[in-house]
Formats: sequence, C-alpha cells, structure tokens
Amino acid sequence: MSTGSEEGGALRSILPPSRVDDLFGFCGDHAWALLGVGAVVGTLPPVFGLREGYYMTVLTEMYLFAILALSWDLVGGQTGYPSFGNMAFFGIGAYTTAILVKDVGIAFPVAMVGAGLVAVGFASVIGIAVLRLRGHYFAIATLGVLLAAQQVSRVLDITGGASGKILLDVPPGTAFYYLFFGLLIVEMGLVYYLSNTRFGFVLNAIRDDEEKATAMGFNTTYYKTAAWMLAALFTGAAGGGYSLFNTFIDPQTAYNGAWNVELIAMALIGGTGTVAGPVIGAFGLHTIIEIVETAFVGWQLVILGAAVIVTVVGFPKGVVGSLGEYAGEMEYYKRGGMAAGGGEAASDPEAEPEVEAGE
Amino acid sequence: MAITQFVVNGLLVGALFAAVAVGFALIWGVVDIINLAHGEMVMLGGYTSYWTLTAVTGNAEGSLGLFLATIPIAIVLLFGVGYALQRTLVQRVIGTDIFLTLLVTFGISIAIQQLGIQAWTANPRSIQVAFADPSLLVAGLVVPKMKLVAFVGAIVLTALLYVFLQRTRTGRAIRAVSQNPEAAALVGIDVEHTRAVTFGISSAIAGGVGAFIATILNVQPQMGLIYTLKSFVIVVFGGVGSIPGAMVGGLLLGSVEELTAGLVSSQWTLAVSFTLLIVLLVVKPNGLFGEVTEP
Repeated sequence: MSTGSEEGGALRSILPPSRVDDLFGFCGDHAWALLGVGAVVGTLPPVFGLREGYYMTVLTEMYLFAILALSWDLVGGQTGYPSFGNMAFFGIGAYTTAILVKDVGIAFPVAMVGAGLVAVGFASVIGIAVLRLRGHYFAIATLGVLLAAQQVSRVLDITGGASGKILLDVPPGTAFYYLFFGLLIVEMGLVYYLSNTRFGFVLNAIRDDEEKATAMGFNTTYYKTAAWMLAALFTGAAGGGYSLFNTFIDPQTAYNGAWNVELIAMALIGGTGTVAGPVIGAFGLHTIIEIVETAFVGWQLVILGAAVIVTVVGFPKGVVGSLGEYAGEMEYYKRGGMAAGGGEAASDPEAEPEVEAGE
Repeated sequence: MAITQFVVNGLLVGALFAAVAVGFALIWGVVDIINLAHGEMVMLGGYTSYWTLTAVTGNAEGSLGLFLATIPIAIVLLFGVGYALQRTLVQRVIGTDIFLTLLVTFGISIAIQQLGIQAWTANPRSIQVAFADPSLLVAGLVVPKMKLVAFVGAIVLTALLYVFLQRTRTGRAIRAVSQNPEAAALVGIDVEHTRAVTFGISSAIAGGVGAFIATILNVQPQMGLIYTLKSFVIVVFGGVGSIPGAMVGGLLLGSVEELTAGLVSSQWTLAVSFTLLIVLLVVKPNGLFGEVTEP
C-alpha cells in the first residue's frame, strides 16, 4: 500500500497532512451545505445552454454511474457484502419501465417509481436467500443472479427476447439530466444521513465483525436486507430511467456484467465505505473511459480491466481512503501524543477516518 | 431412448466441464483464490490450438493426430500464462480482503477477454477435424467421435493431475501448501513458487480442455465467464478440494444441461445452470462430497 506518507518530498510541502485533515474536518462540518452547493451547481449546465449533445449525455451518464456506485457501496462497502450482481436490479428496473411505458401505457414518472419498487421486491426475495452467504459464496451467488436474470429476459416474450425493446417516444435529454442528478443528490443525502444513524453504524459493524454485531443483539439479517433493498430501490429506479434515456433495451445492455465491474471499480477507486468516494470514483473513471472510448475505440474495457488491477494492487483504499490515512498522521499529535496516552489510538490503522464530504 | 441419448450427450460434455472445474478447485484450495479468469484460460487454450493448426495447415482443419499434437503446445503455453499471472499480480493480493482477490481476477478476465476481441474479433471459431465424420452408433445411441475423443482427453488430463498430486514431490508440496502454508514453509517448501505452479497447472489443464472445446463446440473471446461459473457450480456441488467430487459434479451438470436442452429448450440451459448455482449455494454450500468448511 503506497500512500503519500512514504513518498514525502514536494507533495508533503505543498499538501501537508494537517491541511488534508483540515479539509476533511471542513467537509465533515459542512457536509449538508456542500451537498446543497453541489445541488445548485449541478442544475446550472442546462440553464446556461447545455441542453443536448455529447457533453450532456456524458454528464447524465456520470450521474447514472454515481447512483449505481453509491448504491453498490451501501452493501459492498458499508456492509461488507461485495455484490457482483447489482446490475440485476438495474436490468429489472429497465425492463419494468420499458414494459410499463410501451406496452401498458403508463406515464414515465409513475413507471419509474414502479421500476424501483419491482426491484425492491425482487431484492427482498433474493436477499433472504443470498445474504446468508459470505465471502466467495456471496459474490458468486450474486453473479449467478445477474446471469440467470439475463438468460430469463432473453427467453421470455414479454421482454422482447434477445432482440430487446425499442422505445422511441421519450422525454427530452434535459429531463434525464435532472432526473439522474436529482436521484443522485437524494441518494447522497440519504446515505450521508444514514451513515450517522444507528442504522449506518450497525451496517459498519456487520462489515467489521458480523458475529460480534449479532452477539450484541442486532438482528443483522434485518439490517443487511434493508440496506440491500435500499440499494435495489435506487439501482432499479436508475435502470428504469436508463431504458428510456437509451431508447433501447436488450438483455446485454440491461444486465451488463462489465458495468457491474465498472461500478465496483468506481467505488473502489474513490474509496469504499464513504459517501464521497463512490461519487468521485464514478466521475473520475467515467471521464477516463469516455476519453479512451473517443481516442481508442473498442479499448475502453481493456482500460477498465487494467484500472481495476492497478487499483486493487496499488491502492485498495481508494482516493478518499488514502487521503484519510494521510490526514490521519496528525491524529497522534492532535491527541497530545504519548503524554496524553493517545499513542495506541493514534497508531491504530483501523481508526475510521470520518470522511463524509459533499461533492 | 431419447432421454438416454440426452444423458450420453451430457456425460460426454460434462467430462470437459469437470476437467475445467478441477483446475478451478485446485486454485481455490491451494491459493485460496476464486479465479474469475479461469474461463479465459479455456478460451486461450482453444485459440492456441486453433492458431497453431492454422499456421501448419493454412486453415483450421486437420487430421486427428495433427490436432492432438497442438494440445501440448496449449498446455505448455497456458502453464506459463498461469504461472506469470500468479507471480506478477495475484500474489500481491493474497491474504487481503477476499473481495480484492475476486476483483483482481475479474480485472484480468476482462482485460484478456477484450484483448482477445481486439486481436481475433468476436466471431466464434472452431476447429474441423477430418476424422470426426461419421458419428459412431452404439446400441442405437449416436456418439460423435470427436466428443468421445474429447471425453477421453478430459478424463486423461484429470487422471494425470490426480496422479501428479498424489505421487510426485511437487504434488505433495502443493497438497502441503493447501493444508497449511506456514507449516509447509517451515519444512522448506517455497510457498510462493508452489502456488504459482498450482496456478500454472490449473491453467494448463483448462487450456488443454479449451483445445477440445474448439473442436466440438467453438471458441470466442467472451466464452470464458460461462466456464468459470460452471466450474463454480461443479465445485460447490462436488465440494472444494475433491477431484472425484468435481468429476461427479461435472458429469451431473452436463447431464442436467443436456436434459434441459432436450426436454425443454436449449434456450433455457444457461438459465437452469445459474439457478441451480444459486439454489445449491443456499441449500448446500459445502457440496455433496466436501468437507465441512465455513462458507
């Protein structure tokens, strides 16, 4: 693990740990204000004339991925159950709106709420089964759920089989921009709020030691399933928006296994178990992938694979986690060093850096 | 009669699944890694055989002997690939979070798969062996000759691995590392080298099987994940660390798939496999033959 601490030199003089620590403190103290500022700034591009075209699409997709990465992190990062099948909720949401809007004739906003709810229902059934598993078994079972869902949608008539569904009568681009952006802001606010409640603490406790959490009297199954369903709600709603945004949905795009890795990579690069991390990771990695896609067509997934390998091997704590560790170097002195008996706590590598930045 | 035919087909293909799964189980048991790039080794083995044959004959057709001669090449090459992957990448994440080990092998899987598409396009390719036609007819059952050859080949590879693990010095070292890496290191076994050899051997078997798969089915860059997952189903079914268990699991999975294809529809085979995976994991995570371990 290479963090800034060993490199020293120029970086340290420009950005000393205390400065980073101050920044984290500031973000922590003013998280709601920062989120509000972010919410205002995000509404500006369409107001100032960016209403369609490539950059509009890229921004909208960025928000979409941020929603997916943050939802993944709720279960994968906060609770310690890394799912490789979150895209199953996305696909189910996508097909729900596609069917409701095109075949049943229900209005899009209602259909999208329906998409979220159907995904939640699916998640509750699947969750009870797979959340009993841990480690390798959980990861592969969720991957199995994703692929089984994909195969089923390939066979059924109602989903249009392998050729999928085309949706032509769709709202304008700005509608999706505000839709995904609004969903992201709501989710960030909710996850941040939850991370400071009993609910959020129990999730973290499950990640750190599930047996101990159970022994303390928490019904861990309830908490795990609730987090899993909350993730499904946002992932399903995002999928519900995506099918109309993309005007086309088929088993390959709805249950996209590569996207599933992509959103895990985003959470990991940004820093798992934080609110800002997955969002930063989503914005960063999506920008890189877009650039690669434009410059070297067809190589974006190679880059994705390489990015995953480099992150996992190089800095598994991600941007926010590594910075938090760097900032934590000052912890020792803040608590008065050895004299105050702070030596033990300060050197504890598990010490949770309270990083909850806005955007 | 039709059902017997489906079961025969299933057993023939199932042996190939089993041989792939044995390598997957070996890495799981010895290195304690779920290698999500295992299916890519099958793919690379298939392409190695395909391109070697193409280089020799000008097209991907040849006699049985010529095809069989390409298999050692696939095996040696894939051993090198597996050894190198373990030494350069996987070794670095061993002992960290399980999630990170999964992610690094998934990253390798995507990178290999996408490089494969760049190099060889996404079109499926297959090897034509002149010897294949006509199929044998045994007691009213159709047995395609190449499937029989592949079946025997898969059994031979698995049996060789079994003997290797039981009888040779390296095999004993591998089993020792699997049981207790610290104790193995104490008696002078180079643990990292042994793990890399295990990775290499597992990849080599997958590569050899991949060559057979190129003759009876086809190879394409994105085929890998399905073989990885089938391996997982089989290993969960047979129990981690049990070669006979994996063999039985593979033959059963092949039969179930062929029966689904024959009695319901071939579109449903994969959906049934993956559902079987989830059900098995939930109901019986230690496998039918496996030792009791913490899931």
